[in-house]
Amino acid sequence: MTALQVSNVSKSFPGVKALNDVSMTMSAGSVHALLGENGAGKSTLIKIITGIYAPDSGSVMMNGKPVRFANLRQAAAGGLGVVHQERNLVTRFSVGENIMLDRLGASALSRVDYTAIHSEAEKWLKLLDLEVDPRTIVSRLSVAQMQLVEIGKALSLQSRVLLLDEPTASLTPNESKVLFRILRRLRDDGVAIGFVSHKLEEVFDICDRVTVLRDGVNACDSADLTTLSRADVVQMMIGRAERITKRAPRAQPDVPPYLELTDYASGAGHRDISLSVRPGEIVGLYGLVGAGRSELARAILGLSKQLGGEVKVAGKPVHITSVAEALHHHGIGYVSEDRKQEGLILLHSVLANAGITLWSKLANRMGFLRDSSINSKVAPVLQRLELKTPSVYQTIGNLSGGNQQKVSVAKWIAAGVKLLIIDEPSVGIDIKTKAYLHDLIHELAEQGTAVLLITSDMPEMVDVADRILVMDGYRIKGEVENDRNYDAVSKAIMGFIHNHAAA
Amino acid sequence: MAVHANTDGRLTRAFDNDWIGPGIVSLAAVIGISLLQPAFLSSFNIFVLVSAISVNMVIALGQLVIIGIGQMNLALGSIGGLVAISFVGLMERFGVPVPLALGLALGIGVLAGMAGGYIIARTAISAFIITLAGLQIFKGINLGITEAQPFYGVPESVKAFGTGSVLGPLPWLVLPMLICSIGMWYLFNRMRIGRHILAMGSNPHAAEMSGIDPKVTIIWAHALSGLLAAVAGVMLVAKLQIGHPAIGDDWLISSFAAPVIGGAVLSGGRVSVAGTFFGVVIIAIITQGLVMFNIDPFVVQIVLGALILWAVAINRLREVRIAKLQARGAGA
Repeated sequence: MTALQVSNVSKSFPGVKALNDVSMTMSAGSVHALLGENGAGKSTLIKIITGIYAPDSGSVMMNGKPVRFANLRQAAAGGLGVVHQERNLVTRFSVGENIMLDRLGASALSRVDYTAIHSEAEKWLKLLDLEVDPRTIVSRLSVAQMQLVEIGKALSLQSRVLLLDEPTASLTPNESKVLFRILRRLRDDGVAIGFVSHKLEEVFDICDRVTVLRDGVNACDSADLTTLSRADVVQMMIGRAERITKRAPRAQPDVPPYLELTDYASGAGHRDISLSVRPGEIVGLYGLVGAGRSELARAILGLSKQLGGEVKVAGKPVHITSVAEALHHHGIGYVSEDRKQEGLILLHSVLANAGITLWSKLANRMGFLRDSSINSKVAPVLQRLELKTPSVYQTIGNLSGGNQQKVSVAKWIAAGVKLLIIDEPSVGIDIKTKAYLHDLIHELAEQGTAVLLITSDMPEMVDVADRILVMDGYRIKGEVENDRNYDAVSKAIMGFIHNHAAA
Repeated sequence: MAVHANTDGRLTRAFDNDWIGPGIVSLAAVIGISLLQPAFLSSFNIFVLVSAISVNMVIALGQLVIIGIGQMNLALGSIGGLVAISFVGLMERFGVPVPLALGLALGIGVLAGMAGGYIIARTAISAFIITLAGLQIFKGINLGITEAQPFYGVPESVKAFGTGSVLGPLPWLVLPMLICSIGMWYLFNRMRIGRHILAMGSNPHAAEMSGIDPKVTIIWAHALSGLLAAVAGVMLVAKLQIGHPAIGDDWLISSFAAPVIGGAVLSGGRVSVAGTFFGVVIIAIITQGLVMFNIDPFVVQIVLGALILWAVAINRLREVRIAKLQARGAGA
């Protein structure tokens, strides 16, 4: 029986088509995996189902009736329970009160009947095999228990459709097993469960149907998972070459590496990482989401502790402890994957954003900064990047995603970094700007900048990188010399990822 | 899941109570000062002290309810002041009988609070800004009505309430304070609106996802805050025996200090009525005690500041400890 049906949904944001004619059918008594790499459109789809976004076209039906929820409260009332990645519990309240939070009393001044609330909550805890007294304060629970309380809360609203967004992200393998046992039982009771995860082992463990999104379109629509292999699914997530790469392999200058890691281990969980990037070289770091690539970039910048091994910059052993040190002493810049949170200050002007890395250098003896001195350094860079903005005083939040990305690259170029780590440069950017960014990265490398490129976009990787390191499980699994032969290279890369599956 | 919740010893759980610390400090201060200065426990001094505590407690409760939802109310004093002069003005200029004037005055407080709450809920502009504007507007109305001159026409019955004693050295003013304190304790711990206010203060996102209407909850909180400011304004009229336009001008700092000393977290969700009470007591004792020892008033200010820092540090330590406990729970 079809519980939730998404039909031909499309959704555009300025400059990007996030979803194009996407469909998905969730059945009662089934666990349905929703897969896709970052930027594939999963979260947009979930937001459309739960009513946070309105689709431009297409429809969402629950139990055969079209639905259009105004907000998450309405979605819950309509029988759609969502358990988000971030915890949504009031940690100072009891477990029972959290489950019943919207049903504490008939009117604002009603007395809260805790006996009734805790005994009602207990029913849902029992259903989940959660041996926790409903009077327990939530902050005393383990993360796994909190996760289950949230599921209990969703179920207590009589949800027959349950969407779980990366429910195992913060669970240990044992806790995940317990969660899966409960999910199987809910499934057998006829609940339709949507399961978003980046861990393919889990998906094959618990799911029976799968929808894969890639670049905003269905790579498959509600396929029977039992007929698919892990290789098939990875293939669908990564995709085939959409275009033939135009660049020829570049000859590599024979110079000593600018950055060299040897048997590096980090507090974030990296082990035995050895890599090197030479000036003028573009080294790609490929892996599925969760492989530890961005975390490695952040560790190099000093945001995680170095636990072992050696880091050398320009041949000298170093120990970087902060981003400021990485930039000012070692010339390492980082273009964050999360442009809006970490890369740019959206309310500030283009000038302030592009010049931020220069402030400490340009301040005069009195510590004063002048716009003109910043502008003289920044303007040539912005010009070279062909930034489209009415003026450098324009608030950066008003620019398109592509232009924002140009500014976040510009600030590092202006600072004259020797090594630029670029994390997912083309998320949320249209194809034309993407090609332009690729040219830009090449140009940077030609001028002698060492580039470490992180991307989940296989064609981008094959187009841009000189050498590709494949990461999985916070380790480097192998290295592929990029000869721009898409089929051969992507096969080699997937070989390294599959090795892990076989192991 | 066979993992049980963490349970601590009784001692650490008692330590978790927000009021234990300030309670012990209050008691120690009373004992210490009365040993050094026996006049501290004279019935006159107790009367003065309890009167001040009573009014300041109601003021602090008015701020506490807004702290609970994670906001601040800078207009608290100006609402209290407007209510105070309206209360006396109605009786003096229009001959309104006391009960009716009281009802109207409290109504003005509720409406003033609600107006601010409505704008905050509707526009999602920070409460700091809206109540700052409210502070100016209500103060302006106050000065417009009074022309900066006090109203003197306070009826004898009201004066008697503000200066008489109900039992030994305890003033009548203790009664409204007790009613408000018990009422607010009940509201925060046993009533739907109180729980919703605290849920909003702890985790607004979770509260909204759980079906709590944030707008309604914010308006309720500010209406309650206005009501408590009004009660405090009327109490001060009775105590001072005059409708002075400057009533409320000096409420702001202690309205925050007492809840914070009492363990409230300014980001919301965590308040303690009993803790706030002891916060008020500590501030009153220090102020009163240092005066008795002829210590310069500036020292009082410094001591009060140090006390706030100390209280915040204790709260922070506790939060860190809880976070550690949680991390341990997650690892188990």
